[in-house]
Amino acid sequence: MFEFLNQQEVIKTIVTIGSMVLFFVGLFGLLTRKHIIKIFISIAIMESSIFLLFIGLTFNTDFIAPILDNTHVNVSNMNDPVPHAMLLTAIVIGMAVLALGVSFAIEYFKLTGKTDINEMNEMKH
Amino acid sequence: MNLKRDLPTSTLSGFALSGLLILTLLNILLQNMPDNIQTAGNELLKLNANEGVANAVTTVVVYFRGFDTLGEIAVLFIASLGLGLMLHSNTRCDIKAESNFMLQTASKLLFPIILLFGIYVMIYGHLSPGGGFQGGVIIASGVLLLLISHKEFEVPHSVIVALETFAGVSYVLIGLIGLLVLDTFLGNFLPHDISQMGMLISGGIIPIIYIIVGIKVGSEMSMIVQNLIKRSDDV
Repeated sequence: MFEFLNQQEVIKTIVTIGSMVLFFVGLFGLLTRKHIIKIFISIAIMESSIFLLFIGLTFNTDFIAPILDNTHVNVSNMNDPVPHAMLLTAIVIGMAVLALGVSFAIEYFKLTGKTDINEMNEMKH
Repeated sequence: MNLKRDLPTSTLSGFALSGLLILTLLNILLQNMPDNIQTAGNELLKLNANEGVANAVTTVVVYFRGFDTLGEIAVLFIASLGLGLMLHSNTRCDIKAESNFMLQTASKLLFPIILLFGIYVMIYGHLSPGGGFQGGVIIASGVLLLLISHKEFEVPHSVIVALETFAGVSYVLIGLIGLLVLDTFLGNFLPHDISQMGMLISGGIIPIIYIIVGIKVGSEMSMIVQNLIKRSDDV
């Protein structure tokens, strides 16, 4: 019944539209929320949509995982390992940015008691 | 209640328009996508067999772009450093509610298993899905379990300092030995025969470097988690 989902075009269309929807959910949250922790979480949602897009666009159901063994050195039917490796980097960097941003937000809240970005106007005057 | 003021209509319509435009652009790109776009990956997969490592993702992360991985764990170290600088406090963890008996006992039972699983994922990173980053994060999740279940638990700071220093220095030292022996930074100077592919001891320096990355990521993530949980009371 769901065999048509195995076609490459269908998979890539679903992944593209879905990750774009997730990206815009994150962007909407980033632009409309006022709580600073929610803004960081929106950035994390946008990042995860990019991860899904990269992995989904290079995923091929006819191919196998890029793990070789000593009897099987034919590499023509393996998935591309490069997006996985790049996204490992991206996930780590995203985690580092999120943790550092949250720590700044916590320290700011300790000093001033504010979480609303509209009230963060100490540098203004 | 003014509905127009509560709903940001201009923002919403701007979103709808830009989303539509990006979807159209992606649709055009997808329709004109060539059938065989995986040339870089195929070249790397062919080169991968020379290193004797089964998992091609590990080879790409640790060997072909090993210098970037060094920079990546440096970024993680800087984030951990900044977080410790911002949130440093000498008071203990201030979770108000005492965790119950079942959580305390179960976390004591589970922590060695989580640690073992993390080390397994780390050591078998060149044979199966997983590796240093994943194993390190698994170990940090075990530390998080202990931190939320035991109020008095604290990651010993001297152990973290020793582990991080050992991991960072040995990564650079292995790279420099490769530079001396093979004229390439992070050159694979240990024996890496293709006939050993799939065995635990194979691939030369690649599993060693991934274990080092795992030690560094595990200790840094444990420190990040502990700094985020431990807070002083003077809010």
